[in-house]
Amino acid sequence: MDSSLDVDRRSFLIGGAGAAAAVAVASPGGTALAQDAAPKVKAALPKYADWKDASALIVHSDKTLEMKREEFGNSLITPESKLYIRNNINPPDASVIANRDSWKVEFGGVKYPKSLTVAELKTLGVVTIATVLQCSGNGRKYFQDQVVSTNQKITGTPWTVGAAGCVVWTGVPLKSVVEALGGIADGAKFITGTGGETLPDGLDPLSLIVERSVPLDTLDNVILAWDVNGSPISLAHGGPLRMIVPGYSGVNNVKYIRALVFTPKQTEAKIQKTNYRMHPLDRKATSDDPAVWAMNVRSWITTPLTSAKSGALQITGLAFGGINALAKVEVSTDGGTTWKDASLSGPNLGRFAWRQFTFPAKLAAGAYKVVCRATDSEGKVQPKDTEINGGGYLHNGWQGPGIDLSVT
Amino acid sequence: MLSSHISISAAGCFVFAVSLSALAMSATADDAQLALGRKVFTELSEPKCAVCHTLADAASSGEVGPNLDTLKPDVDRVMAAITQGIGAMPANEVLSEEQIKAVARYVSSIAGKAN
Repeated sequence: MDSSLDVDRRSFLIGGAGAAAAVAVASPGGTALAQDAAPKVKAALPKYADWKDASALIVHSDKTLEMKREEFGNSLITPESKLYIRNNINPPDASVIANRDSWKVEFGGVKYPKSLTVAELKTLGVVTIATVLQCSGNGRKYFQDQVVSTNQKITGTPWTVGAAGCVVWTGVPLKSVVEALGGIADGAKFITGTGGETLPDGLDPLSLIVERSVPLDTLDNVILAWDVNGSPISLAHGGPLRMIVPGYSGVNNVKYIRALVFTPKQTEAKIQKTNYRMHPLDRKATSDDPAVWAMNVRSWITTPLTSAKSGALQITGLAFGGINALAKVEVSTDGGTTWKDASLSGPNLGRFAWRQFTFPAKLAAGAYKVVCRATDSEGKVQPKDTEINGGGYLHNGWQGPGIDLSVT
Repeated sequence: MLSSHISISAAGCFVFAVSLSALAMSATADDAQLALGRKVFTELSEPKCAVCHTLADAASSGEVGPNLDTLKPDVDRVMAAITQGIGAMPANEVLSEEQIKAVARYVSSIAGKAN
Protein backbone atom coordinates (compact mmCIF):
# COMPACT_ATOMS: atom_id res chain seq x y z
CA MET A 1 0.00 0.00 0.00
CA ASP A 2 2.81 2.36 0.82
CA SER A 3 5.00 1.72 -2.20
CA SER A 4 6.26 4.83 -3.91
CA LEU A 5 4.14 3.94 -6.92
CA ASP A 6 0.99 4.07 -4.84
CA VAL A 7 2.12 7.23 -3.20
CA ASP A 8 2.77 8.99 -6.45
CA ARG A 9 -0.64 7.89 -7.56
CA ARG A 10 -2.08 9.29 -4.35
CA SER A 11 -0.41 12.64 -4.95
CA PHE A 12 -1.73 12.71 -8.49
CA LEU A 13 -5.25 11.87 -7.43
CA ILE A 14 -5.38 14.72 -4.94
CA GLY A 15 -6.50 17.10 -7.64
CA GLY A 16 -9.11 14.82 -9.12
CA ALA A 17 -11.09 13.57 -6.17
CA GLY A 18 -14.17 15.36 -4.97
CA ALA A 19 -15.61 18.73 -5.86
CA ALA A 20 -13.73 20.55 -3.14
CA ALA A 21 -10.37 19.14 -4.13
CA ALA A 22 -11.02 19.99 -7.77
CA VAL A 23 -11.00 23.63 -6.69
CA ALA A 24 -7.32 23.31 -5.86
CA VAL A 25 -6.54 22.55 -9.47
CA ALA A 26 -8.72 25.30 -10.82
CA SER A 27 -7.45 27.98 -8.44
CA PRO A 28 -4.92 30.48 -9.81
CA GLY A 29 -1.41 29.36 -9.11
CA GLY A 30 -2.57 25.90 -8.02
CA THR A 31 0.86 24.43 -8.53
CA ALA A 32 0.49 21.30 -6.44
CA LEU A 33 0.46 18.88 -9.33
CA ALA A 34 3.41 20.44 -11.12
CA GLN A 35 5.49 20.49 -7.96
CA ASP A 36 4.64 16.90 -7.13
CA ALA A 37 6.12 15.87 -10.46
CA ALA A 38 9.50 17.41 -9.60
CA PRO A 39 12.41 15.15 -8.62
CA LYS A 40 12.34 14.32 -4.92
CA VAL A 41 15.21 14.36 -2.46
CA LYS A 42 14.34 11.68 0.07
CA ALA A 43 17.47 11.47 2.18
CA ALA A 44 16.37 13.48 5.18
CA LEU A 45 12.85 12.09 5.58
CA PRO A 46 12.03 9.43 8.17
CA LYS A 47 11.05 6.07 6.70
CA TYR A 48 7.33 6.28 7.45
CA ALA A 49 7.22 9.56 5.51
CA ASP A 50 9.81 8.85 2.83
CA TRP A 51 7.14 9.21 0.12
CA LYS A 52 6.72 12.89 0.92
CA ASP A 53 8.08 15.76 -1.15
CA ALA A 54 11.33 16.42 0.72
CA SER A 55 11.97 19.63 -1.19
CA ALA A 56 8.77 21.09 0.29
CA LEU A 57 9.57 20.23 3.90
CA ILE A 58 11.82 21.30 6.78
CA VAL A 59 12.89 18.23 8.77
CA HIS A 60 13.05 19.38 12.41
CA SER A 61 13.30 15.79 13.67
CA ASP A 62 12.11 12.36 12.62
CA LYS A 63 8.77 13.17 14.28
CA THR A 64 8.36 16.75 13.13
CA LEU A 65 8.25 17.89 9.48
CA GLU A 66 7.24 21.43 8.60
CA MET A 67 5.97 22.61 5.22
CA LYS A 68 8.09 25.45 3.87
CA ARG A 69 6.21 28.73 3.86
CA GLU A 70 6.82 29.36 0.17
CA GLU A 71 5.07 26.06 -0.60
CA PHE A 72 1.66 27.47 0.40
CA GLY A 73 1.71 29.59 -2.76
CA ASN A 74 -1.86 30.26 -3.85
CA SER A 75 -3.18 26.76 -3.29
CA LEU A 76 -6.32 26.22 -1.26
CA ILE A 77 -5.94 22.51 -0.50
CA THR A 78 -2.69 21.17 0.91
CA PRO A 79 -1.48 17.99 -0.83
CA GLU A 80 -0.73 15.16 1.60
CA SER A 81 2.77 14.97 0.13
CA LYS A 82 3.54 18.43 1.54
CA LEU A 83 1.40 18.41 4.67
CA TYR A 84 3.31 18.86 7.94
CA ILE A 85 3.81 15.95 10.33
CA ARG A 86 3.87 16.04 14.09
CA ASN A 87 3.85 12.54 15.51
CA ASN A 88 3.71 12.56 19.29
CA ILE A 89 5.07 9.04 19.31
CA ASN A 90 6.18 6.81 16.48
CA PRO A 91 3.50 5.43 14.14
CA PRO A 92 2.40 1.81 14.41
CA ASP A 93 3.70 -0.79 11.98
CA ALA A 94 2.61 -0.29 8.37
CA SER A 95 0.70 -3.57 8.59
CA VAL A 96 -2.19 -1.59 10.12
CA ILE A 97 -3.00 -0.18 6.69
CA ALA A 98 -2.59 -3.50 4.86
CA ASN A 99 -6.30 -4.22 5.23
CA ARG A 100 -7.92 -0.91 6.05
CA ASP A 101 -11.52 -2.07 6.10
CA SER A 102 -10.79 -4.61 8.83
CA TRP A 103 -9.42 -2.01 11.31
CA LYS A 104 -11.56 -2.13 14.44
CA VAL A 105 -12.69 0.64 16.74
CA GLU A 106 -14.09 -0.13 20.16
CA PHE A 107 -16.99 2.16 21.05
CA GLY A 108 -17.94 2.71 24.70
CA GLY A 109 -20.01 5.05 26.80
CA VAL A 110 -22.99 4.31 24.56
CA LYS A 111 -26.13 2.28 25.16
CA TYR A 112 -24.82 -0.68 23.17
CA PRO A 113 -21.00 -0.75 23.41
CA LYS A 114 -19.51 -2.52 20.42
CA SER A 115 -16.48 -2.91 18.17
CA LEU A 116 -17.04 -1.81 14.60
CA THR A 117 -14.75 -2.28 11.62
CA VAL A 118 -14.06 0.46 9.10
CA ALA A 119 -16.15 -1.54 6.62
CA GLU A 120 -19.09 -1.45 9.04
CA LEU A 121 -18.58 2.25 9.77
CA LYS A 122 -18.79 2.96 6.05
CA THR A 123 -22.36 1.61 6.06
CA LEU A 124 -23.50 4.11 8.69
CA GLY A 125 -22.89 7.36 6.85
CA VAL A 126 -20.47 9.31 4.67
CA VAL A 127 -19.67 13.00 4.78
CA THR A 128 -16.84 15.14 3.37
CA ILE A 129 -15.53 18.20 5.18
CA ALA A 130 -12.61 20.60 4.75
CA THR A 131 -10.65 21.53 7.87
CA VAL A 132 -7.50 23.35 8.82
CA LEU A 133 -5.25 20.74 10.39
CA GLN A 134 -2.77 22.64 12.52
CA CYS A 135 -0.25 21.58 15.13
CA SER A 136 -1.01 23.04 18.57
CA GLY A 137 2.52 24.47 18.54
CA ASN A 138 2.40 26.11 15.11
CA GLY A 139 4.10 29.52 15.52
CA ARG A 140 6.01 28.45 18.63
CA LYS A 141 9.17 30.04 17.22
CA TYR A 142 7.62 33.49 17.68
CA PHE A 143 7.17 32.76 21.40
CA GLN A 144 10.71 31.36 21.60
CA ASP A 145 12.09 34.51 19.96
CA GLN A 146 10.28 36.60 22.59
CA VAL A 147 11.90 34.80 25.53
CA VAL A 148 15.38 34.54 24.03
CA SER A 149 16.82 37.16 26.41
CA THR A 150 15.45 35.53 29.55
CA ASN A 151 16.66 32.42 31.34
CA GLN A 152 13.35 30.74 30.53
CA LYS A 153 13.15 28.40 27.62
CA ILE A 154 10.19 27.11 25.66
CA THR A 155 11.00 23.66 24.42
CA GLY A 156 9.41 22.04 21.41
CA THR A 157 9.71 22.37 17.68
CA PRO A 158 10.31 25.96 16.48
CA TRP A 159 7.49 25.94 13.96
CA THR A 160 6.76 29.22 12.16
CA VAL A 161 3.62 28.88 9.99
CA GLY A 162 4.20 25.56 8.22
CA ALA A 163 2.70 23.17 10.77
CA ALA A 164 -0.68 23.65 9.16
CA GLY A 165 -2.62 22.64 6.09
CA CYS A 166 -6.16 22.70 4.76
CA VAL A 167 -7.32 19.23 3.82
CA VAL A 168 -10.52 17.46 2.83
CA TRP A 169 -11.59 14.51 4.95
CA THR A 170 -14.15 11.85 4.14
CA GLY A 171 -15.60 9.65 6.85
CA VAL A 172 -18.61 8.81 8.96
CA PRO A 173 -20.18 11.43 11.22
CA LEU A 174 -19.73 10.34 14.83
CA LYS A 175 -23.35 11.17 15.59
CA SER A 176 -24.43 8.56 13.01
CA VAL A 177 -22.36 5.97 14.85
CA VAL A 178 -23.87 7.05 18.16
CA GLU A 179 -27.39 6.67 16.77
CA ALA A 180 -26.55 3.16 15.58
CA LEU A 181 -25.28 2.28 19.04
CA GLY A 182 -28.38 3.46 20.87
CA GLY A 183 -27.23 6.88 22.01
CA ILE A 184 -24.77 8.22 24.56
CA ALA A 185 -24.73 6.86 28.12
CA ASP A 186 -25.89 9.15 30.90
CA GLY A 187 -23.33 11.47 32.46
CA ALA A 188 -20.94 11.66 29.51
CA LYS A 189 -19.23 15.03 29.11
CA PHE A 190 -16.27 14.19 26.90
CA ILE A 191 -15.39 12.25 23.76
CA THR A 192 -12.23 10.30 24.52
CA GLY A 193 -10.26 8.85 21.61
CA THR A 194 -7.36 6.42 21.88
CA GLY A 195 -4.60 6.11 19.30
CA GLY A 196 -3.31 2.79 18.03
CA GLU A 197 0.42 3.39 18.46
CA THR A 198 2.48 0.55 19.91
CA LEU A 199 3.89 1.47 23.32
CA PRO A 200 7.25 0.17 24.56
CA ASP A 201 7.22 -2.44 27.32
CA GLY A 202 8.03 -1.62 30.88
CA LEU A 203 6.35 1.70 31.38
CA ASP A 204 3.01 2.93 32.62
CA PRO A 205 0.85 3.22 29.47
CA LEU A 206 -0.78 6.39 30.81
CA SER A 207 2.60 8.12 30.73
CA LEU A 208 2.77 7.83 26.97
CA ILE A 209 -0.47 6.71 25.35
CA VAL A 210 -1.98 9.13 22.85
CA GLU A 211 -5.46 9.44 24.29
CA ARG A 212 -7.33 12.72 24.12
CA SER A 213 -10.62 13.94 25.52
CA VAL A 214 -12.59 16.73 23.86
CA PRO A 215 -15.84 18.31 25.11
CA LEU A 216 -19.04 16.52 24.14
CA ASP A 217 -20.34 19.66 22.41
CA THR A 218 -18.02 18.86 19.48
CA LEU A 219 -20.17 15.79 18.69
CA ASP A 220 -22.08 17.35 15.80
CA ASN A 221 -18.81 18.11 13.98
CA VAL A 222 -16.63 15.07 14.70
CA ILE A 223 -16.08 12.51 11.96
CA LEU A 224 -14.07 9.30 11.77
CA ALA A 225 -12.18 9.70 8.52
CA TRP A 226 -10.66 7.11 6.21
CA ASP A 227 -9.84 9.37 3.25
CA VAL A 228 -7.94 12.63 2.96
CA ASN A 229 -8.04 14.67 -0.24
CA GLY A 230 -9.90 11.79 -1.89
CA SER A 231 -7.40 9.02 -1.12
CA PRO A 232 -6.93 6.64 1.82
CA ILE A 233 -5.15 8.40 4.71
CA SER A 234 -1.46 7.48 4.82
CA LEU A 235 0.03 5.82 7.89
CA ALA A 236 1.95 9.02 8.61
CA HIS A 237 -1.28 11.01 8.86
CA GLY A 238 -3.29 8.49 10.86
CA GLY A 239 -4.64 5.88 8.45
CA PRO A 240 -6.55 3.64 8.40
CA LEU A 241 -8.88 5.80 10.53
CA ARG A 242 -8.49 9.19 12.18
CA MET A 243 -10.78 11.06 14.55
CA ILE A 244 -11.28 14.55 13.13
CA VAL A 245 -12.42 17.26 15.52
CA PRO A 246 -12.96 20.30 13.27
CA GLY A 247 -11.68 23.55 14.75
CA TYR A 248 -9.50 21.74 17.30
CA SER A 249 -5.70 21.67 17.11
CA GLY A 250 -3.78 18.71 15.67
CA VAL A 251 -3.24 16.60 18.80
CA ASN A 252 -7.00 16.30 19.33
CA ASN A 253 -7.38 14.64 15.94
CA VAL A 254 -6.34 11.19 17.15
CA LYS A 255 -4.54 9.03 14.59
CA TYR A 256 -5.08 5.26 14.16
CA ILE A 257 -8.12 5.58 16.39
CA ARG A 258 -8.78 2.23 18.06
CA ALA A 259 -11.15 3.21 20.88
CA LEU A 260 -13.72 5.97 21.26
CA VAL A 261 -15.54 6.29 24.55
CA PHE A 262 -18.01 8.86 25.88
CA THR A 263 -16.67 9.62 29.34
CA PRO A 264 -17.81 11.68 32.34
CA LYS A 265 -14.22 12.90 32.88
CA GLN A 266 -11.14 13.66 30.81
CA THR A 267 -8.68 10.80 30.42
CA GLU A 268 -5.91 10.35 32.98
CA ALA A 269 -3.33 9.93 30.18
CA LYS A 270 -0.49 12.40 30.70
CA ILE A 271 -0.86 13.78 27.18
CA GLN A 272 -4.24 15.09 28.34
CA LYS A 273 -3.87 15.49 32.09
CA THR A 274 -0.65 17.47 32.33
CA ASN A 275 0.59 17.96 28.76
CA TYR A 276 -0.93 20.15 26.06
CA ARG A 277 -2.11 22.64 28.69
CA MET A 278 -1.96 26.43 28.65
CA HIS A 279 0.42 27.05 31.56
CA PRO A 280 2.70 29.93 32.57
CA LEU A 281 6.33 29.94 31.53
CA ASP A 282 7.75 29.49 35.01
CA ARG A 283 6.09 26.23 36.01
CA LYS A 284 4.91 22.96 34.59
CA ALA A 285 1.26 22.41 33.77
CA THR A 286 -1.38 20.92 36.02
CA SER A 287 -4.77 19.46 35.16
CA ASP A 288 -6.30 22.77 36.32
CA ASP A 289 -4.72 24.66 33.41
CA PRO A 290 -6.91 24.95 30.28
CA ALA A 291 -6.48 22.11 27.79
CA VAL A 292 -5.20 22.91 24.31
CA TRP A 293 -8.41 22.39 22.38
CA ALA A 294 -10.03 24.93 20.06
CA MET A 295 -7.89 26.88 17.60
CA ASN A 296 -8.04 30.65 17.40
CA VAL A 297 -8.27 33.12 14.52
CA ARG A 298 -5.13 33.34 12.44
CA SER A 299 -3.62 34.42 9.11
CA TRP A 300 -0.33 34.71 7.29
CA ILE A 301 0.96 36.07 4.02
CA THR A 302 2.03 33.54 1.40
CA THR A 303 3.27 35.81 -1.43
CA PRO A 304 5.46 37.79 -1.76
CA LEU A 305 7.72 36.67 1.10
CA THR A 306 10.94 38.61 0.59
CA SER A 307 11.07 40.98 -2.36
CA ALA A 308 9.00 42.57 -5.11
CA LYS A 309 9.37 45.03 -7.96
CA SER A 310 8.09 48.55 -7.37
CA GLY A 311 4.65 49.40 -8.69
CA ALA A 312 1.49 47.34 -8.52
CA LEU A 313 1.59 44.00 -6.77
CA GLN A 314 -0.81 41.51 -5.20
CA ILE A 315 -0.21 40.48 -1.59
CA THR A 316 -1.87 37.12 -0.96
CA GLY A 317 -2.30 34.87 2.03
CA LEU A 318 -4.40 32.43 4.00
CA ALA A 319 -6.74 33.09 6.93
CA PHE A 320 -9.03 31.06 9.13
CA GLY A 321 -11.17 31.54 12.19
CA GLY A 322 -10.16 28.36 14.05
CA ILE A 323 -13.22 27.15 15.92
CA ASN A 324 -15.27 29.94 14.32
CA ALA A 325 -15.78 30.98 10.73
CA LEU A 326 -13.56 33.67 9.26
CA ALA A 327 -15.13 37.14 8.94
CA LYS A 328 -12.47 39.38 7.43
CA VAL A 329 -8.77 39.99 6.83
CA GLU A 330 -6.86 43.26 6.93
CA VAL A 331 -3.40 44.00 5.56
CA SER A 332 -0.89 46.65 6.61
CA THR A 333 2.22 47.62 4.65
CA ASP A 334 3.53 49.85 7.45
CA GLY A 335 3.98 47.30 10.22
CA GLY A 336 0.49 47.65 11.64
CA THR A 337 0.12 51.45 11.81
CA THR A 338 -2.62 51.57 9.20
CA TRP A 339 -4.85 48.72 8.01
CA LYS A 340 -7.01 48.14 4.95
CA ASP A 341 -9.40 45.29 4.18
CA ALA A 342 -8.19 42.49 1.92
CA SER A 343 -10.67 40.65 -0.30
CA LEU A 344 -11.45 36.97 0.18
CA SER A 345 -10.38 35.66 -3.18
CA GLY A 346 -11.08 31.94 -3.15
CA PRO A 347 -13.97 29.55 -2.56
CA ASN A 348 -15.53 29.11 0.87
CA LEU A 349 -15.17 25.47 1.92
CA GLY A 350 -16.96 26.02 5.21
CA ARG A 351 -16.47 27.17 8.77
CA PHE A 352 -13.40 25.04 9.48
CA ALA A 353 -11.42 25.57 6.27
CA TRP A 354 -9.07 28.43 5.59
CA ARG A 355 -9.68 31.05 2.93
CA GLN A 356 -7.38 32.72 0.48
CA PHE A 357 -7.13 36.50 0.55
CA THR A 358 -5.71 39.11 -1.81
CA PHE A 359 -4.64 42.69 -1.21
CA PRO A 360 -3.68 44.86 -4.17
CA ALA A 361 -0.91 47.33 -3.29
CA LYS A 362 1.19 49.88 -5.08
CA LEU A 363 4.59 50.23 -3.48
CA ALA A 364 7.56 52.49 -4.33
CA ALA A 365 11.10 51.20 -3.84
CA GLY A 366 11.93 50.78 -0.17
CA ALA A 367 11.67 48.49 2.83
CA TYR A 368 8.22 47.52 4.11
CA LYS A 369 6.90 45.55 7.05
CA VAL A 370 3.87 43.74 5.64
CA VAL A 371 1.50 42.14 8.14
CA CYS A 372 -2.03 40.76 8.11
CA ARG A 373 -4.64 40.17 10.77
CA ALA A 374 -7.89 38.25 10.63
CA THR A 375 -11.19 38.60 12.49
CA ASP A 376 -13.50 35.67 13.19
CA SER A 377 -17.30 35.53 13.07
CA GLU A 378 -17.46 36.29 16.81
CA GLY A 379 -15.50 39.51 16.35
CA LYS A 380 -12.25 38.16 17.78
CA VAL A 381 -9.26 39.85 16.17
CA GLN A 382 -5.72 38.52 16.06
CA PRO A 383 -3.59 40.32 18.67
CA LYS A 384 -0.24 41.92 17.88
CA ASP A 385 1.43 39.34 20.12
CA THR A 386 -0.09 36.34 21.84
CA GLU A 387 0.39 36.09 25.60
CA ILE A 388 3.32 33.73 26.19
CA ASN A 389 2.61 30.26 27.57
CA GLY A 390 5.11 27.65 28.72
CA GLY A 391 4.33 25.09 26.04
CA GLY A 392 4.36 27.61 23.21
CA TYR A 393 0.84 26.64 22.14
CA LEU A 394 -1.83 28.40 20.05
CA HIS A 395 0.23 31.35 18.83
CA ASN A 396 -1.87 33.75 16.78
CA GLY A 397 -0.14 37.14 17.01
CA TRP A 398 0.07 39.05 13.73
CA GLN A 399 3.52 40.53 14.34
CA GLY A 400 5.51 37.28 14.38
CA PRO A 401 4.77 36.04 10.85
CA GLY A 402 5.07 39.56 9.36
CA ILE A 403 7.09 39.97 6.16
CA ASP A 404 10.11 42.24 5.71
CA LEU A 405 9.51 43.14 2.08
CA SER A 406 12.22 44.71 -0.02
CA VAL A 407 10.75 46.61 -2.98
CA THR A 408 13.22 47.55 -5.73
CA MET B 1 56.64 52.79 33.13
CA LEU B 2 58.86 49.78 33.25
CA SER B 3 57.65 48.66 36.67
CA SER B 4 54.06 49.04 35.66
CA HIS B 5 54.68 46.80 32.63
CA ILE B 6 56.20 44.19 34.86
CA SER B 7 53.35 44.23 37.28
CA ILE B 8 50.80 43.90 34.51
CA SER B 9 52.69 40.98 33.10
CA ALA B 10 52.90 39.35 36.51
CA ALA B 11 49.24 39.85 37.06
CA GLY B 12 48.63 38.32 33.65
CA CYS B 13 50.64 35.24 34.63
CA PHE B 14 48.72 34.91 37.84
CA VAL B 15 45.37 35.08 36.06
CA PHE B 16 46.61 32.56 33.52
CA ALA B 17 47.68 30.17 36.26
CA VAL B 18 44.37 30.51 38.04
CA SER B 19 42.37 29.84 34.91
CA LEU B 20 44.46 26.79 34.09
CA SER B 21 43.73 25.30 37.47
CA ALA B 22 40.05 26.25 37.17
CA LEU B 23 40.00 24.48 33.82
CA ALA B 24 41.52 21.37 35.32
CA MET B 25 39.01 21.39 38.15
CA SER B 26 36.07 22.01 35.84
CA ALA B 27 37.21 19.25 33.51
CA THR B 28 36.98 16.78 36.39
CA ALA B 29 33.63 18.14 37.49
CA ASP B 30 32.50 18.03 33.89
CA ASP B 31 33.45 14.38 33.52
CA ALA B 32 31.56 13.51 36.67
CA GLN B 33 28.54 15.48 35.51
CA LEU B 34 28.59 13.79 32.10
CA ALA B 35 28.88 10.37 33.69
CA LEU B 36 25.94 11.15 35.94
CA GLY B 37 24.03 12.44 32.92
CA ARG B 38 24.57 9.20 31.07
CA LYS B 39 23.40 7.23 34.09
CA VAL B 40 20.27 9.37 34.36
CA PHE B 41 19.59 8.80 30.66
CA THR B 42 19.91 5.03 30.81
CA GLU B 43 18.97 4.12 34.40
CA LEU B 44 17.75 6.79 36.82
CA SER B 45 14.99 8.53 34.86
CA GLU B 46 11.42 7.20 34.89
CA PRO B 47 10.29 6.51 32.25
CA LYS B 48 13.92 6.03 31.17
CA CYS B 49 15.04 8.46 28.49
CA ALA B 50 16.63 5.53 26.64
CA VAL B 51 13.33 3.67 26.30
CA CYS B 52 11.95 6.36 23.99
CA HIS B 53 14.96 8.14 22.48
CA THR B 54 17.79 7.09 20.19
CA LEU B 55 21.18 8.36 21.36
CA ALA B 56 24.21 6.55 19.97
CA ASP B 57 26.52 7.36 22.91
CA ALA B 58 24.06 5.77 25.32
CA ALA B 59 23.58 2.79 22.98
CA SER B 60 19.85 3.49 23.01
CA SER B 61 17.58 2.98 20.03
CA GLY B 62 14.16 4.04 21.33
CA GLU B 63 11.86 5.19 18.55
CA VAL B 64 8.96 6.61 20.51
CA GLY B 65 10.28 10.15 20.76
CA PRO B 66 12.56 12.14 18.47
CA ASN B 67 16.01 10.80 17.64
CA LEU B 68 18.31 12.98 19.75
CA ASP B 69 21.31 12.43 17.48
CA THR B 70 19.42 14.21 14.71
CA LEU B 71 17.54 16.69 16.92
CA LYS B 72 20.75 17.85 18.72
CA PRO B 73 18.96 19.86 21.41
CA ASP B 74 20.85 22.46 23.47
CA VAL B 75 21.09 22.37 27.28
CA ASP B 76 18.14 24.67 27.91
CA ARG B 77 15.89 22.79 25.54
CA VAL B 78 16.58 19.46 27.26
CA MET B 79 16.08 21.03 30.70
CA ALA B 80 12.75 22.55 29.66
CA ALA B 81 11.59 19.30 28.05
CA ILE B 82 12.36 17.36 31.24
CA THR B 83 10.97 19.83 33.76
CA GLN B 84 7.83 20.80 31.82
CA GLY B 85 7.26 17.90 29.45
CA ILE B 86 6.52 18.38 25.76
CA GLY B 87 4.11 16.69 23.40
CA ALA B 88 3.59 13.17 24.73
CA MET B 89 6.71 13.37 26.94
CA PRO B 90 5.61 13.69 30.57
CA ALA B 91 7.17 16.27 32.91
CA ASN B 92 9.75 14.90 35.35
CA GLU B 93 8.53 13.61 38.70
CA VAL B 94 11.58 11.74 39.99
CA LEU B 95 14.85 13.47 39.08
CA SER B 96 16.69 16.00 41.26
CA GLU B 97 17.77 19.36 39.87
CA GLU B 98 21.37 18.11 39.81
CA GLN B 99 20.33 15.03 37.83
CA ILE B 100 18.33 17.13 35.37
CA LYS B 101 21.26 19.47 34.81
CA ALA B 102 23.56 16.49 34.35
CA VAL B 103 21.42 14.73 31.77
CA ALA B 104 20.82 17.99 29.92
CA ARG B 105 24.58 18.64 29.78
CA TYR B 106 25.19 15.05 28.70
CA VAL B 107 22.58 14.95 25.91
CA SER B 108 23.43 18.39 24.56
CA SER B 109 27.15 17.68 24.47
CA ILE B 110 26.99 14.20 22.98
CA ALA B 111 23.95 14.13 20.66
CA GLY B 112 24.97 13.61 17.07
CA LYS B 113 28.66 13.28 17.96
CA ALA B 114 29.02 9.52 18.17
CA ASN B 115 28.15 8.82 14.55
